[in-house]
Amino acid sequence: MNTDVILKAQDLFFSYDDGASYALSGLSVDIHRGQKIALMGANGSGKSTFSLCCTGICKPQRGTLYFHGQPVAYDKKSLLALRSKVGIVFQDPDNQLFSASVYQEISFGILNLGVSEQQARDEVEAVIGALEITPFRDKPTHALSGGQKKLVSIADILVMHPEIIILDEPSAALDPKHTQMVNRIVAQMTEAGITVIMATHDVDYAYAWADEVILFHEGKVLLHGAPDVVFSDHDALHKTNLHPPTVLSLFERLCNKGVLSPDLPCPRDLDTLENYLTDAMHK
Amino acid sequence: MIVIDKLCYQSKLRYENAGEKFAFAVLTLLICVVSRSIAVAGIVLAVTGTLTVAKGGVPVLRYLKFLTIPLAFLFLSTAAILFHISRTPMDLFAIPLGGWYLTTSMSSLHYAVQLILTALSAVSCLYFLSFTTPMTDILEVLRRLHCPKLLIELMLLIYRFIFVLLDTASAITTSQHCRLGNRDYKTALKSFGLLGSALMLRAVTRSNRLYTAMEARCYDDTIRVLSENHPPKKSVIAAIVLFDSALIALAIWSKYLI
Repeated sequence: MNTDVILKAQDLFFSYDDGASYALSGLSVDIHRGQKIALMGANGSGKSTFSLCCTGICKPQRGTLYFHGQPVAYDKKSLLALRSKVGIVFQDPDNQLFSASVYQEISFGILNLGVSEQQARDEVEAVIGALEITPFRDKPTHALSGGQKKLVSIADILVMHPEIIILDEPSAALDPKHTQMVNRIVAQMTEAGITVIMATHDVDYAYAWADEVILFHEGKVLLHGAPDVVFSDHDALHKTNLHPPTVLSLFERLCNKGVLSPDLPCPRDLDTLENYLTDAMHK
Repeated sequence: MIVIDKLCYQSKLRYENAGEKFAFAVLTLLICVVSRSIAVAGIVLAVTGTLTVAKGGVPVLRYLKFLTIPLAFLFLSTAAILFHISRTPMDLFAIPLGGWYLTTSMSSLHYAVQLILTALSAVSCLYFLSFTTPMTDILEVLRRLHCPKLLIELMLLIYRFIFVLLDTASAITTSQHCRLGNRDYKTALKSFGLLGSALMLRAVTRSNRLYTAMEARCYDDTIRVLSENHPPKKSVIAAIVLFDSALIALAIWSKYLI
């Protein structure tokens, strides 16, 4: 982790009910620029609240959030500046799409950045092309399928060119085809230099995709590290209602049986594991 | 209403300039209502009907069915104008009822027909607009006409959330039916009440979440959006001007010169 810290949370406390219970209770974490970060944890462990804190929607009662090393201020101007750099794609597109027209919907965010109309039009067209929204751009949003709505809600944020994109369970309720499309778009975001934070319950995907995994537990970070380290910690996984990724499980079992050597680096995907096995068979 | 919404997105006139369609519908409607002439109303009904059906591609039967919706109200309300109960019979016909007559005069028949046709032609103008122009395009026209921003933003959000809430309502109703929520009249009534309160709560949470999501996209109390423009065509504008001028001429002629 030699990249610079873009977002830093220090000892955040947040309560939705005036201190009766805490959604975040002393959360500290560093987010590094350009990384692919998976936020994992049981329901109610604080992932969504943390995401909302990152854009200044939830103001922590205690603790400080730093963006590019500067403590986040909560006056209107600073908040707008923060939100133009940190975007959230919400889990349910129906809570995000406010206009019946796809074109209007996507143009909202970029116009709020104060760019000229012509530039906004160009940006909207570009993102519509890049995300393959063209076939349904003329449909009203209420006539779109769940997957199409998801693509529009991602376009909503991408058009603003944020430095960090937070995706809240992007593939929840999507069919495999749209899940793949979303995953491809996420990969393109990373290529474009965007720091991607994804809240997800899909351990297999997180294991294959992420550079870092942050395990949330009761409003705190339980474990933060490389996927193979985090997912090898069975106690931590058990605490957070997670299972180890299938590939990793199988690898461990094969190591225990002596089929594979435990000295091999942990395989991230099925293909690597297959190669290990083929090599082992040839020996 | 949902059917109209679906049809207007499929209309062949959808990508015509919204301002043209709006101007045509509103001007023609005004002429109909102000002139109250049977001839004008007849022409308008024929022209808007043809445009909506032949040019727009709305199925004829569906269109006629939609026209019959206001017809029922119209017949009920004109019945009061048409029929009189009096001691003296009038010129058109009179049915004796004891010492009284159920009777109608020629002039009230004329008045009733005039009223029905005017109302129907006015409705057909609005149908033309709603069958060919999506709501978001109409809002864009209103914005250009300097309609208050607050109203336009409200309409934009309400229009979107009609569909979200309808989906929610139908999902709740289905789940109530699955659990025998409409077993008898009493439970059905109770379920309906519960549906109402559940919808209310959902609407409040939805609006909070939506506000949060908009805030996250730098919302600063003004909804600014871009619309796609389809440039107006000179020939269409000329046709609208010509048609409406002719209508006005006909209205004046039939009112003062006959």
